[in-house]
Amino acid sequence: MGDSFPEKVLRSMEAVTYWAAAAPVLARLPAALGYRIARWRGDWLYRRQAGKRTELARNLRLVLGSELSLAAAQEATREWFRLASCEVIDVMRLRRGTRPLRRLVKIRGKEHLEAALAQGTGAILCCAHFGSYNSAFSVLHAGGFPVTTIGRWQYKYTASLSSVERRFWDLVYARRVRRHRQRPNIEPWPGRFEVATLAARALRANEVVTISIDAPPLDSDRARTVEVPFLGRRARLLPGVVTLAQLTGAPVLMGFLYRSADYRHQVLEISAPVPTEGDTVTAFARCAAKVSAAIQKSPAHWAYWASTADLANLGLIPPVQESSLAAGLLPLPDQAYLPDRPAAAHAAAPG
Amino acid sequence: METVINDYISRELVQDPALLPLADETRLLESGILDSLSLLRLVVFLEARFGVPVGDADLLPENFASVHAICAYLRAREPGRQETAHG
Repeated sequence: MGDSFPEKVLRSMEAVTYWAAAAPVLARLPAALGYRIARWRGDWLYRRQAGKRTELARNLRLVLGSELSLAAAQEATREWFRLASCEVIDVMRLRRGTRPLRRLVKIRGKEHLEAALAQGTGAILCCAHFGSYNSAFSVLHAGGFPVTTIGRWQYKYTASLSSVERRFWDLVYARRVRRHRQRPNIEPWPGRFEVATLAARALRANEVVTISIDAPPLDSDRARTVEVPFLGRRARLLPGVVTLAQLTGAPVLMGFLYRSADYRHQVLEISAPVPTEGDTVTAFARCAAKVSAAIQKSPAHWAYWASTADLANLGLIPPVQESSLAAGLLPLPDQAYLPDRPAAAHAAAPG
Repeated sequence: METVINDYISRELVQDPALLPLADETRLLESGILDSLSLLRLVVFLEARFGVPVGDADLLPENFASVHAICAYLRAREPGRQETAHG
């Protein structure tokens, strides 16, 4: 059952207050205390947001099925709310050259990235909307790796947002993240046919280009998707990361940021290069399998559980019926966006 | 130049056989022949084949709208032409 309109308004007000006022203060407290309070907020939201909680737990079980008991789905849902709250603190700790966040993030596999860049072909860091991925990119950049991200800022293309809301999200979120990038995001909007060429330029300049491959395809990109095994099902995803690697010779490394049990320390795991030779679909399936494994290992880290429409768009659950939405049987899609979780959609390069 | 580019696009980038034979005036973007990644393929080919580096600022739809447009763009980038253009 969806939340009522007044509940949605209250929720939005709470989120705005958290992002604009509370989180910046929490980010200046000792990390143990700041993240503990963020976790409490996550628990509070879990109790308060019945509609979103139900949607998340149901989506988890719909996709992961028998892998997840009801109790495990509820626990993963609670964890999702906690992580979402903590991710805001991560963004707020991206000050002073990201040092406050960097000292909480351990990077494993840095040598793979260094070896890739030593070849001079740049490196593609293949990721997902998983944990604090955007803050991870900033930490990486501030740590000496020139990072360019392919991805749309979600607040720019969510039709229901007003210009004031867009400006707000730019100020409290995008600006903080954007500061720690080699160049502005390469945003794959429909009709921006220069995206892959710009990404290739960044790779030729020996930069790290990040691509999240789990984004639901836009309608205009649907013809270019391929179907690959994903989360025990089959999903339609854009394989541009592999084509880009094949055309430029840049190696593809996988990167996932995991939050530890104390909620403040995190580990960015960077893999050795994934083979991208040969058939595009086969090579892309290897990347999708790595993303899938990361999500199955730690389901609460994945952003898309909160969006029934996005999961349907990926082909992981049946399409959402308009009649179901109208009858209030499913929460409206805006619940997925607003705005507990930092939400910059990173779509793969078209193709 | 037209023949070389037309051949490459016809052979490597056209997915729909109904679009062949490709006319030099065919709209490459509107017809879906060129997308983000196929443009990258084309740019790599043009730079290797004609030795003309394609700058970021030149990645404009009008420069890649058709085989004719691509040739016009490349001719304008030929060293002699640039010297003439810059006086």
